[in-house]
Amino acid sequence: MAHAAAAQEKLFALREQIARLEGRSLPAMAAAKMESFVSGSSGEERLSFDIPALDDALSGGLPLDCITEIRSGSFSDAGAATGFSFSLVGLMKARKAAAGPMLWIADSFSSGEMGIPYAGGIRQFGIDPRAIFHASPRRLEDALWLAEGALESKAFIATILEVHGNPKSFGLAESRRLSLRAKAAGQPLFLLRHAGEEEASSASVRLLVEPAPALERSLPDGSMLGGSIGHPVFNITLEKSRNPAPLSFRLEWNLDDRQFHLARDPGKSSFHKWPAHSGASLSASADRQDRPKAVGAVVAFERAS
Amino acid sequence: MRLVAIDEVAQTCSLKRGQGLAEARAMYPDIDVFDEDERADFALLEAIADWCDRYTPLVALDGKDGLFLDITGCTHLFGGEEAMLRDVLARLFQMGFYVRGSISSTPGLSSAISRFGPGGVITREDMSAALGALPVHALRLDEKAVASLLKLGLKRVANLMSMPRAPLARRFGAQLLMRLDQALGTNEEAISPRRPVASLSAERRLGEPIQTEEDILGMTAEIASSLKLSLENRGAGGKVFELVLFRVDGRVFRISAGASRPLRDPKRISGLFSERLNAIHDDLDAGFGFELLRLNVLQHDVFDDLQADFSGEERRETSLADFIDRVSARFGAGCIQVYQHRQSHIPERAEIFLPAIAAPERQPQCSETLQFLPRADRPLRLLRSPEPVEAFAALVPDGPPQQFRWRHVLHTVTRAEGPERIAPEWWIDDENAKERDYFRLESELGRLFWVFRLGRYGDDPPPTWRIHGVFA
Repeated sequence: MAHAAAAQEKLFALREQIARLEGRSLPAMAAAKMESFVSGSSGEERLSFDIPALDDALSGGLPLDCITEIRSGSFSDAGAATGFSFSLVGLMKARKAAAGPMLWIADSFSSGEMGIPYAGGIRQFGIDPRAIFHASPRRLEDALWLAEGALESKAFIATILEVHGNPKSFGLAESRRLSLRAKAAGQPLFLLRHAGEEEASSASVRLLVEPAPALERSLPDGSMLGGSIGHPVFNITLEKSRNPAPLSFRLEWNLDDRQFHLARDPGKSSFHKWPAHSGASLSASADRQDRPKAVGAVVAFERAS
Repeated sequence: MRLVAIDEVAQTCSLKRGQGLAEARAMYPDIDVFDEDERADFALLEAIADWCDRYTPLVALDGKDGLFLDITGCTHLFGGEEAMLRDVLARLFQMGFYVRGSISSTPGLSSAISRFGPGGVITREDMSAALGALPVHALRLDEKAVASLLKLGLKRVANLMSMPRAPLARRFGAQLLMRLDQALGTNEEAISPRRPVASLSAERRLGEPIQTEEDILGMTAEIASSLKLSLENRGAGGKVFELVLFRVDGRVFRISAGASRPLRDPKRISGLFSERLNAIHDDLDAGFGFELLRLNVLQHDVFDDLQADFSGEERRETSLADFIDRVSARFGAGCIQVYQHRQSHIPERAEIFLPAIAAPERQPQCSETLQFLPRADRPLRLLRSPEPVEAFAALVPDGPPQQFRWRHVLHTVTRAEGPERIAPEWWIDDENAKERDYFRLESELGRLFWVFRLGRYGDDPPPTWRIHGVFA
C-alpha cells in the first residue's frame, strides 16, 4: 500500500517535471499557481500585448522566465530588431511599473556594422538610458558568461544578448544552459540574433522581425499628418511558439503610450499627393463682432425695386 | 668601453670600476666580459624591491644597485634590528645575491655604511664615528667634487667634519654640506617609496606554501575578515583592493581589483579576486607555492551602514553592484559601461559611456534634464562614425535626396522628414566647421535612416551626404 503510494508520488513528480520542462501546467500546478495568484504573487509571469490574437497564439503572452529569440533576416533590419527588443523592455516597464536596470550585452561585430544603441533613441522608447548597462565583451564565450551571470544575479529586469549569425559556439547546449538559468531566476533573456538563420534552440519563443513602413503621425484631432513618419512599425512572424502555424502580425509601437497596436494597412500614403495649396477648407468668416455697425437704428428697409 | 661592475675575484686582482676594457684585457687576457643590460638590471632591482615589500611597505630605489627600506615601526615584527638585518641578508643570500646592508637612523648613513663600511646596525651614538671613518666617496657627491676633495688631501669624512663649515660651503658648494647633514640626521632626507602606501593592510605568513586557487581565495577571505574590524572602526569600506602574493622563490605577484561600492564583506572581497584569478589564470604561475599573502586596501570610502529591510529592493541593489564588480574584475572596467548625458547638440558628443564601476552613485536622478531635452527624433542605433553615402536627386537647397546608396545598396526614399539643422560647436570644432542638416528617410521596405547633409549648396567644395544611424 505504502509502496504504491510512493510509486504514485514518484510518477506525479516525474509528470510535473516533464510539464515544467515543456512549460505546460498540470492541474496540481495550476492549483498551486492559483493559490500563489491569490496570495498576490503570480508564479509564472507573462507579458501580455493586449492584442487578443497575438496573446492567444502565445497562450496568454510572452513568457518572462525563458529565452525569447528575436531574429532579423539581415543586418539592414538590425534597427527594427533592436527597436522591437527595446519596445518589449519598454512594455515590461510600462506593465509592471517596475523600475530596474537592464543589461545590453553587445556583439562587437554588430556594433561595428550597425552602430551601438544610442541613448537619445532609447529615451524615446520610454526607457531611461541611465538604467541601461552596456556590456561589450570581446568574445562570444565572455558574452555567454555575462548573460549567465546577469540572470543568476537577478539584478536586471531584462537582459538582451546580441549575437550575429549562427555561431557554432552558441549551440543547443549553451542555449539550454541559459534557458535553465532564466527559468531558475525567473528573469527574461532576449536573444537578439542579427542576420541569422532559424535553428534549433531552447528559446521558448522565436520571432522574426522585419521593418515595415511607419504610419503617419496622428494629429490631436484624430487625423493623420500627411507625409510624416510616425511611430515605428514592425512585421512580426511567430516562428516558434506553442501555436503550430506561423503567424504574422503588423505591430505599431506607440512611443508615447508605451503600448503595441495592430497597425492598419498603410494603403494610401499621402506624400506628394495633396496639392500644395489645397484651397480654403474653412468657411468664410461672417457676422463677426468686430464688424463696424451701421450707424443709427433701422427705421425702414430700402425699397427693393 | 669601460668596466661598470666587477665580481669578487676581479676585485682581488686589482681591477677597478671605470677601468678601460682594453687595459683590463691587457692585464688579464682571459677575463669574461658581458655587455651591460641596464633594463635587465633595473628589472632585477625592481623584483628584489618587490620582494622586500614583505618587510615594509616603504621601499625605495637607491641608484642602480641599492634599495632603501624604511623600517620605522616594523623591526619588532622580525625580532629587532639585528635579527631583521640578518634575516634580510640571509634570505637574499639564499636566493643567490651577495648583499650588504646596514641599519641606521638616516638613509644617507645606511647607504654609506653598506657600500663603504662594515655594515651592521649603527646606533645613534656611533653615527659620527662610523661616518668619519669612511672615505669621502661615501657621501654620494658628484665625481668632480670628490676629485677636488681628494686633491686637497681630504680623504676621510672625518677630515671634513672637523673643518669649519662656511669655507667648505664656499669652496665646494652647498651640496657637500647638505649630504653631510643628511648622513648625520641634522637635515631630513625623505625617501620616495615605489608604491603608494595602502591605507590598510593585513597579511598571513604561511608555514606551508599554498598553490591552488581555492587555497588562495580561502586565505584571502580569511585575511579580509581580519581587515573587516579595522574597516568597521573607520566606518569605511574598501574600493580598490590589492592582493600581494609572495612566491617561495622570491617572485611577487600583485593582483588588484576594484569595487563599485565600498566593500567589507570578506566573501565578496574574495569573490572579486576569484574573477581576477580566472582572468589572469595563465600569468599566475604558482610554482612551488606562495608563502606570504597580503591584502592591501589601496582606496577606501565611507561605508553607509544600512539596516536590511524585508523587501527585495536592497538585495537587487547589492546584487547589481556585485555583478558589476565581478564583470569589471574579470574583463576590465571598460567592459561594462553606463550612459552619461552631456550638454551638447552634436549627437555623438551628447551621449558618452562611462565605466559602470566609476560612475557616480545611481541616485534617483533629476528628471528635469529628461524633460528639457530636445524632443527631436534620435536614432536607436548610432554608427560609430558617420559613413559617406551617395545621394541622388536631392532637392536644392534644403531638401532630402530621392535615392541614396549606402554600402553598395541603393535605397529609394519614399518619405522624408527634416531637415533638422545642428550647428557645429565652434568652440571645439573650428570656426569653419560645416553644419549638418539631418533627415529621417524611409525606404520603400520601411527601413528608417538618419542621413545628414554636411555643408550647404553653393559652397566650395559642394556638400556631402553621410549616414549617422538607423531608427527602429
